[in-house]
Amino acid sequence: MGSFDLSEIFYNVDSGYLEGLIRGFKNGILRQEDYRHLTQCDTLEDLKLHLQGTDYGNFLANEPSPLTVSVIDDKLREKLVAEFEYIRNHSYKELGVFLDFIKYSYMIDNIILLITGTLHQRQLSELLTKCHPLGTFDQMETVTIATNTADLYNAILVDSPLAPFFKECISEEDLNEMNIEIIRNTLYKAYLEAFYDWCKEKGGATADVMCEILAFEADRRSIIITINSFGTELTKEDRAKLYPRRGKLYPDGLIELARADDYETVKRIAEYYADYRPLFDGTGNGPGDKTLEDKFFEHEVTFSTTLLSYIYWAMAFL
Amino acid sequence: MSAEAIFPPASSVASCLRPKTRVYSSLQEQSLIGIDLHETVKWLLNISNFTMGSLYRSEEMCLAQLYLQSEAAFACVSELGELGLVQFRDLNPNVNAFLRKFVHDVRRCDEMERKLRFLERELNKDNIPVDDDGDVPLAPLPREMIELEGKFEKLESDMKEVNGNQEALRKNFLELSELKQILKKTQGFFEEATMYQTEHTGFAPELEEDSSRAGDLSRGPFTKLGFVAGVILREKMLAFERVLWRACRGNVFLRHAEMEVPLVDPYTGDKVNKCVFIIFFQGDQLKNRVKKICEGFRATLYPCPESPQERREIAVGVTTRLEDLQTVLNQTEDHRRIVLSQVAHNIRVWFIKVRKIKAIYDTLNLFNVNIAEKCLIAECWCPVADLEKIQGALRHATETSGSSVPSILQVMKSDESPPTYNRTNAFTYGFETLIDAFGVANYREVNPTPFTIISFPFLFAVMFGDLGHGFLMLMFSLYMLYYQRYFLRNKTDNEIWEMMFGGRYLILLMGLFSMYTGFLYNECFSISVNVFGSAWNVSADPGWDTEYLKSQTSLMVDPGKPGVFRGSTLPYPNSTGNPYPYGIDPIWQLASNKITFLNSYKMKGAVILGFVQMMFGLILALNNHLYFKNYLSLFCEWIPQIIFLLCVIGYLVILIFYKWAVWSAADSSQAPSLLIGLINMFMFTAPSQTADTVVFSGQAGLQQGLQIFIVLLAVFCIPWMLFTKPVIIYYRNKQKQATAGYGEVHTSVNGISDRADILAHDELNINHESELDSSSESEKHEEEEFEMGQFMIIQVIHTIEYCLSCISHTASYLRLWALSLAHSELSQVLWTMVMSIGLKEPGALGVVMSFLLFWVFSSLTVGILLIMEGLSAFLHALRLHWVEFQSKFYKGEGYMFSPFSFHVIVEGKSEE
Repeated sequence: MGSFDLSEIFYNVDSGYLEGLIRGFKNGILRQEDYRHLTQCDTLEDLKLHLQGTDYGNFLANEPSPLTVSVIDDKLREKLVAEFEYIRNHSYKELGVFLDFIKYSYMIDNIILLITGTLHQRQLSELLTKCHPLGTFDQMETVTIATNTADLYNAILVDSPLAPFFKECISEEDLNEMNIEIIRNTLYKAYLEAFYDWCKEKGGATADVMCEILAFEADRRSIIITINSFGTELTKEDRAKLYPRRGKLYPDGLIELARADDYETVKRIAEYYADYRPLFDGTGNGPGDKTLEDKFFEHEVTFSTTLLSYIYWAMAFL
Repeated sequence: MSAEAIFPPASSVASCLRPKTRVYSSLQEQSLIGIDLHETVKWLLNISNFTMGSLYRSEEMCLAQLYLQSEAAFACVSELGELGLVQFRDLNPNVNAFLRKFVHDVRRCDEMERKLRFLERELNKDNIPVDDDGDVPLAPLPREMIELEGKFEKLESDMKEVNGNQEALRKNFLELSELKQILKKTQGFFEEATMYQTEHTGFAPELEEDSSRAGDLSRGPFTKLGFVAGVILREKMLAFERVLWRACRGNVFLRHAEMEVPLVDPYTGDKVNKCVFIIFFQGDQLKNRVKKICEGFRATLYPCPESPQERREIAVGVTTRLEDLQTVLNQTEDHRRIVLSQVAHNIRVWFIKVRKIKAIYDTLNLFNVNIAEKCLIAECWCPVADLEKIQGALRHATETSGSSVPSILQVMKSDESPPTYNRTNAFTYGFETLIDAFGVANYREVNPTPFTIISFPFLFAVMFGDLGHGFLMLMFSLYMLYYQRYFLRNKTDNEIWEMMFGGRYLILLMGLFSMYTGFLYNECFSISVNVFGSAWNVSADPGWDTEYLKSQTSLMVDPGKPGVFRGSTLPYPNSTGNPYPYGIDPIWQLASNKITFLNSYKMKGAVILGFVQMMFGLILALNNHLYFKNYLSLFCEWIPQIIFLLCVIGYLVILIFYKWAVWSAADSSQAPSLLIGLINMFMFTAPSQTADTVVFSGQAGLQQGLQIFIVLLAVFCIPWMLFTKPVIIYYRNKQKQATAGYGEVHTSVNGISDRADILAHDELNINHESELDSSSESEKHEEEEFEMGQFMIIQVIHTIEYCLSCISHTASYLRLWALSLAHSELSQVLWTMVMSIGLKEPGALGVVMSFLLFWVFSSLTVGILLIMEGLSAFLHALRLHWVEFQSKFYKGEGYMFSPFSFHVIVEGKSEE
């Protein structure tokens, strides 16, 4: 705002329809009150009946009566995917790229799932049902033929949108558990860095909001990777390569993390950062305690909500 | 029991009503060009006596309590739903939807609806049309519901079984036809290979069948090639080829050909295009790899023998099997069709039945259940006039359900303001919608709709006055009316069309009135028509002979000269010596000062119309005050208001008429200027001959005295409006506090301000009030003081608003003039710049040009003048009604009566 920006003039031409749509979707999200009612439900039928009064009214209408959790889950996912694809198909220029970025993370998950599944001699058809439909792409189902990463890249992924992220993890080694974990994390790292840089380049509200979220995601991954690597055969050098270098921990925190040997050290490093210190307080592995991952998740949700309301606030003043 | 048995004709009040409505609808059908003459006549009868059932005030409503025996409750609600005259209140607002009593039954209905939707989808899949005989069945009884449930259950499982069989058969069919295609296509590949072989003998590899016998590859490692053949979706072919090439490092040879005929997908029934491919490769490892890739791309592989003979044999076998399968498939298809045609015949009726049952149970869920007395208690709003009908329906329902104890309807007293219910018909519906769009009238408040029916089209027409345009509009509305039965049956999704169609009677009147005002303005596509003969006679001037007239391009015709105006001695054009009898003299069409003349005329007309409408609004306000016995507002608000309006604008209007009457065409140059006169009046400047402000000639002193009196009277009205009402209320409150204590005062204040709880249950109100009662007295006193301050502020705002609005609303009515000017100017521009160019051109060119320009002219006339100008005039007329007219008397803070009616539910207008 302030400066004369021509791009705002065409805002409604490019995104007006989608913005209306999104606002509608946002209003359709269940409210606190709905959740309070849902807690009183005894059976899934009750749940269905209650949902009929909300925006989720019709997604279960055509299901025969004995409902199961998996049916609800499937239908909800179907609804999400349909809405997402609709928005993606109507999006324009940068918004399309942005939404594709969101899909990439699902693609990474799907590839890893398929490779792991094949390693464990699972049937392809069984694996496919577990793949997230947002992350499907043409060549996805053929990843099972690859036996090493070079193969995987050269034969299959070179055409897929994930190719640019894959460059760092090409090696002739055969695929095994350890390797797959490394591939997953390297892919994620490349993906996060690319997404972050793209958002930064776009500037504006995109950068303000998304960089925050992505930086947090990067830091969380770094910390979790470090903690999980204790007691495995992963070397410290290899581990350092897996850290996404875009978060608040970069560069000092990551150097420290690379040297860390135990949980206490990680905790000490995190204490230098105001955002992460509270997350380490009061965590534990006891039955009543929250794990660190829970805490991270909680933190993500609260600050994503804050950012979301920031977006709507900003839009109102545009 | 059939429907006839349940409702023996003419056995009860409710069923007596039904034949009557049928007679009425047949009357409708006979009426000329589809206009509901009957409806119109009925409405005219209603408006002539402002009694019950008219639109003047909303229907009198009462809150009633129903005690329904549990066994009769279903039948009662069903009858009431058919009647559509009661609005039930939710008596368990705090109970969750899934905890209510009849939730189980609602769920059963949901399930039935789901099954019906499934059957409907199957019907759509086969493009079988649903029979629609327009018959609306009554809601079935609960015991019939079980029967229906069983029927649907059976149909659904039948359908699923048929579908399953068909799917399996289709799958089989697909596989066989794919195999057939493979055999056909690979034939071509192999022939090419043999040709190649004969050309390069010794090098050609021996082809070997693969798929089923994998082991025999070892026989000749380098000379023998394996191959697989299969089918893949056409859109996947490209990616498949590429991945195959990369994964096998170019060591495979792929040939593919497209199938000419699309195949049918067994699961969805869609047509899919597929490709046949054959891949040659060497070695076991590659074979595994190729197979995995095929699997990844969901290609289906088929065994394909190597030798032509075997292939031919298989092909023959496949063909015969395909033929068999086709006959079986046809049979299942026929069976399915028979089942579905049965469904198609009944599904609409079933849907209606299920929806009705569901609506009944949903309504029953709103009731209180009294377990001890085995009855349901309901509360509902209903029109007082229809209480008998409702009771009749209840009696009838009790009889049919065989309950021994009658259902009781008991009218209750309630402090809540009842819903607003205006009975409309096809004619008045459009107008009522216009008013409701602004705000639903308060209960029993004067409803502007009956007046709007005339005033709206008239004000529209003042802005849209053109005989030709009005005629086109009239034709359009007649078209809609002539085909209205067709349009009513075939609803479209086009909202704009639906809106226009809903207002078809409005457009009819708008067209008629536009023709009338167009006639007054004497404009037909901007051209004047000389109907009665002009009252002006140019040849009356002795100096103007033919020679002189020819030599001049424009002439000044002076009405002051004898014989020029109203002095015609000739038998033609206007021998009466009177002015043009009706409307504007057509001679003005030729005048260069036409606009100046019309401006003055139309502006004055606009002020007069505005004043009349606002006065009328105030009279309606008087009606409201008298009806609600609000004498305080009558004396402290209404009287100063009307005096103020009369002083400020009424005086001006009198002057306008006076000026028109006193100054004739001959001495119009000495006429006073009203505008300056009005301004001077407020500035207390004495009227003077020099400023052209003396209206009553020779009595300037008297005029000044009168004007000063008028202004002072108007100014005196302002404090009258401002202070009297709040002061009186303040003292009344004080008195009441002194005598009656606090409780009563508080509730009365509550009654005014607390409108949010209308739908809430009584218990809530009771709680609410008892809470307030228990609060300390001093608090209440403070609250009272605060209310007084607020009241004062509101009064100040209202007073200022009213005083300013008298001026600004009058000015606002000038839009009547402005838009009418714009309309006539635009149509004139269109005529002179487009159509007349072609008409002026002589010879053959003129004919061609006229023909071509006519299309430009007519499309611009419709696009700009009719649609755009029409819309703008519509909006301005709407604004004049909503803001200028209704602000004088209309509150519009009520809420609509929305009765429980099957009619609405079956039409699907409101899905709960």
